[in-house]
Amino acid sequence: MASVWLAVLALVLAGPVPSALARARWPQRVPRAAIVLWQAIALAAVLAAVGSALAAPEELLRALGPEQRRGTAMVVAVAVAAVLAGLIVLRLLGVLVLLAVRTRRRRARHRDMVDLLDRAERSALVGGAGAKTVLRVLDGAVPFAYCVPGRAPRVVVTEAALDTLDDDELRAVLAHEQAHLDARHDLVREGFVALHQAFPVLVRSRQARDAVGLLLEMLADDAGRARCSDAAMAGALEAFLATGDTEVGARLERVRARRCGGRALATGTYLAAAAVVVVPTVGVVIPWLSVALPAAGVLR
Amino acid sequence: MALGELERAVMAQLWAAPGPLTVREVHDRLDRELAYTTVMTVLGRLAKKGVVRQERDGKAYRYAAASTREQLAASLMLDALGDVGEDRTAALVAFVDRVGPEEAAALRAALQAAPAPAGPPEVPQPRVDGEQSGPES
Repeated sequence: MASVWLAVLALVLAGPVPSALARARWPQRVPRAAIVLWQAIALAAVLAAVGSALAAPEELLRALGPEQRRGTAMVVAVAVAAVLAGLIVLRLLGVLVLLAVRTRRRRARHRDMVDLLDRAERSALVGGAGAKTVLRVLDGAVPFAYCVPGRAPRVVVTEAALDTLDDDELRAVLAHEQAHLDARHDLVREGFVALHQAFPVLVRSRQARDAVGLLLEMLADDAGRARCSDAAMAGALEAFLATGDTEVGARLERVRARRCGGRALATGTYLAAAAVVVVPTVGVVIPWLSVALPAAGVLR
Repeated sequence: MALGELERAVMAQLWAAPGPLTVREVHDRLDRELAYTTVMTVLGRLAKKGVVRQERDGKAYRYAAASTREQLAASLMLDALGDVGEDRTAALVAFVDRVGPEEAAALRAALQAAPAPAGPPEVPQPRVDGEQSGPES
């Protein structure tokens, strides 16, 4: 039964759970805890799928009868299980490595170009006051700000952004980007992008990726609010609010409504994250192992 | 002087120039105490990165920016936006904003419509695509 339970769990964690969590509003109040919950769900889904593949042939064999448990049949069963589970893991790891290499190459090039284009006379003015990260100013009529993470990170803003934002708003924006860089939000994001690339259909990996992306922005918004003020962060978001953009709109509304906090909610979310990983392990995997290993002759 | 700063200064000269420049001309315009060979090296590096075009002019090579400042800035912003395909980029950047379709269209227009780098009319060039560092005059 373990493999069936794990398969059901994997399906639930890959389908309805992400859908519901992506629609819910409460995670926006505790973005950090919510991101951990998303990670726990993704991890548990992958582990359940792998566990299901590993358990299935062994359980099938055991159901067949005692005389078939040993010998070549068992070896074949274990091999099939290992290959299935290995495919899931290798696919994910392969995508992850490829994505990491490509992303870093593109970032290096992007950083080169940003350095070439920098309006040094403007970035020197802004960056002077104790900035941790190199700031680059691009010319351009669209207000724009982003960061290029990595070992030599850059914060990039356009001249239009500098012209539009007042000092407080600009500081809030820089604090937002710095929060992304300091906490390596890009790595969190990369994990979910890889998950989506590895398993693009059937599972709700797109919702997961997009929801986590938005939560990371909100987490960085909170850094901007803490560093400066709610008003400054809201003002900056307003300046960046582009036509037909729902994401910045949601963030602006959240900052304006000062929707955040809730220690109990955060604690509950962390507990849920731990439970998603621990409960299936204790409830399904350990009982299965305690039966399967002696049957396979590993433990007696 | 840091190499990055030097590259930026050289690019600034190429962008400001009315046409492709020789190494000597770039060297003279830089107005700094620099060895001729340093300028040559920097131009070679920039050509390797694909931001500088190298063209033969008699015995010497002339160098021009491969795209205008505006084009390059627009292409960077599109790159940051993830305009070229959604997943390739997602982890590249984190935004304060995400520009809307109108702004993205404006960037694309800037990329295409910006005047080609001033200079002699475009002769179809053999693409210098990064691999080739080019024989230095």
